[in-house]
Amino acid sequence: MLRKSIVMLVICGLLLGTGVILAKDQVKLTATFAAPKDRWDMLMEVAEEIINERHPDMDIEISYEVLPYAQARSKLITMTAGETPRDLVSVDQIWLGEFAKAGYLKDITFEVAKWGRIDEFYPKNVEGCIYDGRFYGLWSWTDVRVLWYWKDLLNEAGVEPEDLTTWDGYIEAYEKLKPVTLSKGIQPIHLVGAGHSPDMWFPYLWMSGGDILELRKDQYGTEKYFPVFDSDAGVKALGFLQDQVGAGIKPQIDHYWGAEFADKKFAVMLEGSWLLGKFPDDFDFSKIGMVPLFPTPEEDMTSSTMMGGWILAVPSTSEHPELAWELLTILEDPDVLTPMLAEFGYLPTQKTIAEDPEYASVLEESIPFFSELTKALPIGHGRPNIPQYPTIAENIRMAIEEVYYGRKDPEAALEDAAEKSKSVLGW
Amino acid sequence: MRKKKKVIRFVLFLILIVFTIYTLAPIVWVFSTSFKTKAEANRFPPTIIPEEPTMENYVFLMNNSQMVRSFFNSLIVVIPATILCVAVSALAAFAFSRYSFAGGKTLLVIIMGIFMIPITMNVIPLYLIFQRMGLLNTYTGVIIAYQVLVIPLNIFILKNHFDTIPKTLEEAAVLDGCSTFQRLTKIIMPLSWPGLAISAIFTFRFSWNEFVLPLLLISDPDKMVFQVAIYNFLGLYRIDWGHLSASIVFGMLPIVVIIVFFQKQLIQGIQKGSLKG
Amino acid sequence: MFKLKKLIPYLMLIPALALMFFLMIYPIFWNVDLAIHDVEISTLNKVWDFIGFKNFIQIFKNERFLESLRVSLFFVLGCVTLQFVIGFAIARILVEKIIGTKIFRILFIFPWLLSATIVGYSWRWLYNDFSGLINLTLMGFNIEPVPWISSPNVALISLIIANVWFGTPFSILFQESALLTIDHQLYEAAHIDGASPFKCLTKITLPLLRPFIAINLILITMWTINIFDLQLIMTNGGPLNSTTTASLYMYKQAFEQGKMSLGATVGVILLAINLCISFVYLKLLRSERA
Repeated sequence: MLRKSIVMLVICGLLLGTGVILAKDQVKLTATFAAPKDRWDMLMEVAEEIINERHPDMDIEISYEVLPYAQARSKLITMTAGETPRDLVSVDQIWLGEFAKAGYLKDITFEVAKWGRIDEFYPKNVEGCIYDGRFYGLWSWTDVRVLWYWKDLLNEAGVEPEDLTTWDGYIEAYEKLKPVTLSKGIQPIHLVGAGHSPDMWFPYLWMSGGDILELRKDQYGTEKYFPVFDSDAGVKALGFLQDQVGAGIKPQIDHYWGAEFADKKFAVMLEGSWLLGKFPDDFDFSKIGMVPLFPTPEEDMTSSTMMGGWILAVPSTSEHPELAWELLTILEDPDVLTPMLAEFGYLPTQKTIAEDPEYASVLEESIPFFSELTKALPIGHGRPNIPQYPTIAENIRMAIEEVYYGRKDPEAALEDAAEKSKSVLGW
Repeated sequence: MRKKKKVIRFVLFLILIVFTIYTLAPIVWVFSTSFKTKAEANRFPPTIIPEEPTMENYVFLMNNSQMVRSFFNSLIVVIPATILCVAVSALAAFAFSRYSFAGGKTLLVIIMGIFMIPITMNVIPLYLIFQRMGLLNTYTGVIIAYQVLVIPLNIFILKNHFDTIPKTLEEAAVLDGCSTFQRLTKIIMPLSWPGLAISAIFTFRFSWNEFVLPLLLISDPDKMVFQVAIYNFLGLYRIDWGHLSASIVFGMLPIVVIIVFFQKQLIQGIQKGSLKG
Repeated sequence: MFKLKKLIPYLMLIPALALMFFLMIYPIFWNVDLAIHDVEISTLNKVWDFIGFKNFIQIFKNERFLESLRVSLFFVLGCVTLQFVIGFAIARILVEKIIGTKIFRILFIFPWLLSATIVGYSWRWLYNDFSGLINLTLMGFNIEPVPWISSPNVALISLIIANVWFGTPFSILFQESALLTIDHQLYEAAHIDGASPFKCLTKITLPLLRPFIAINLILITMWTINIFDLQLIMTNGGPLNSTTTASLYMYKQAFEQGKMSLGATVGVILLAINLCISFVYLKLLRSERA
């Protein structure tokens, strides 16, 4: 019996040995990302090369799928439920708490500490990676939403870009643009009616002095979040959306993330900086203009904008956690990340990229309006990443739609949404 | 009187033409746009026939390895699913058609009743069951899941077809020493060819087009089926009307093949009263 | 030996029944189990909290669920009626064999053979506010574009039109095959007796076709109640939830909001509704046969 086992062991050992000598270890890393796709293609091509260079003994293949925004979320949910093995996922900043709580994301606090580069990130962005005091991912880039316009159309209608910076001016501009653009098959001003409409409403809320949630003590003295978006500021902010609809601006339920502006289907659009990546390579950017803010109720008021962005995280189901983490750090390497940010117009979350002239100059040169865009960063706010946030955002979306379609006035709609959100937050 | 009849026939013909326009306009529009350049697809007013026809949309599509791969993945899943489904249903239909057994009628009603259960509602538990059985992310899992789509309908169609075949034929065969299984494979199946064809077409149609089950059951991008790939692809590129319509035309391909090659069986199968109550 | 022979039909049924049990019946128990617990995506792989019928009580107080039921009702009624009536009328014309019947028949089947994904995207684009064929045509005639799927008042109707386009061919096929079973001599006899075409329809055609009609209605009703991928793609349930049918609501609760228990609860309710409807239909079918 013993002899047999020894012989078996020897044979196995020999087989393994020759196996290692003859063939490299085949490793397949899998990933799920959110659209648009090109950015991932660009990153993965470089990353795959680097990780293979670092591990000459292995043959590492990165296989990834890119899904539209809503499906990326459904996919994360089903993958959580099915404990599907995956090595890397992109998580919208607002989903982090939810998926971390569900146990789908790997706690990488230890790895982050050992890595030692986290101090190079802006504090706001570091905060966004943390749930319950632990790190669950790395906030890889951010974006700001600003006001874009086609110069020729504004000229023809006799609208000055400055006119667009106040609420009244914005609506007047619509009236002036209408006769010029409609006959060309172009809509004057874009208004978001898609699922992310709350994101485009928050800036008006913030600039009027409001906020989405605030920490309050309940009767037992525990601190919990409390919905405060139905404040006067909120009602005023939603009133502006109502006025836009009243003036004839149609909420667009289809959203193409700036491609509709690049295709010149709209003369004016509030959209993220990624819009720049939607133009053809040879596009002459002097044809369009940008104001780095959202319109304000009055002149000379401080505006606000919203910052979002994507977090890269390693799922707890990863079959190659060490390699996955290594891949993640490769992706965060300024040398790898900067060209992608430059190509698609994203803003850095790392001080190194934003401030080190070596990288910053790349961004300045390739992202049109880059220095202008960075002006929007100080007025940028983020959204909470608590697990209940997606449900709260859904309630706010309903309130916005109720106002868009004239079912309720802003006050009643927001009150309802706040009431529902209270119970979600445990009040 | 004759003239009146002619007028009526003309009106009926007009109705058919109107209905044809309703049916075909979307398809023609998609087909035409798939050959337009991006600039032309965005042009206002739109052109019906492409002025500068181009294949660039199809080239773009063919260069998307996931789309091409998923097309074949779908075939890998759908063909066995169709064969399995028709075989299983034929067996059951044979039992219902040729035997009278205790509980037979009740079972038939139960099977039709099962058809009333929405797959939608089973999606959540199926996902969890497949997860626990290790069937997630496997072709086998999807093939099994597809069975649920049409088995009841197929049993129903095939039973009706089998019922039309006279029993005397089999009785003679049994005297010649034919086994039960041979009765099914040698006599009934060849004679009810249109019925088998139509149930195969139905199964193919439902499995090929099924979207929700594979969307949830497969998360390995390399195993993605066509409907899910097209869904993702269109989600990513939908503003690009040219790409959108090219992928829609591509997705119609197997169906067009079916219509062209099997139209006779399809019509015959229907006319023979496969769907009789 | 004799006993074995008796078992043969059951043996033949085993594969079909096993598959259906595994895929259809067994999941229902799971669904019920989920529905009486409080399970969200974040607790799915942990211990499930038992809460009894609380989910059911809550769901019937939930405005959005009730609204989705109303939307479903309107959607199903609209789709089933239109699909059936148009399907029957076209089938009736086709059997007249005017000219080109074969070609028409093939053309008419086409939409039904497509997938909901493809139909959904095609129609979504046709309805598009600023680059859809329909609005472009209207704008060409200087008519104000219609917000086909971007107004809560119109979206459901647009959805019904698309689904009717998608589903009618099945009824055409089905009713044509049914009409062909009727002996033509019956009509000739009636004609000689001086019966009007309308009388022929109500006294001969419809009574003879009753079983076909019942089955046709059952099938399209079920398909319409349960379809949600079309809405998911065309309107994503909006605007203002005006196209969120109960089936789509279930899917979104479970797979977008991550509320598994709530989704399963809606699923159980949908099942009950389905069973009631099919029971009524089957009862009708039975009594007609007798």
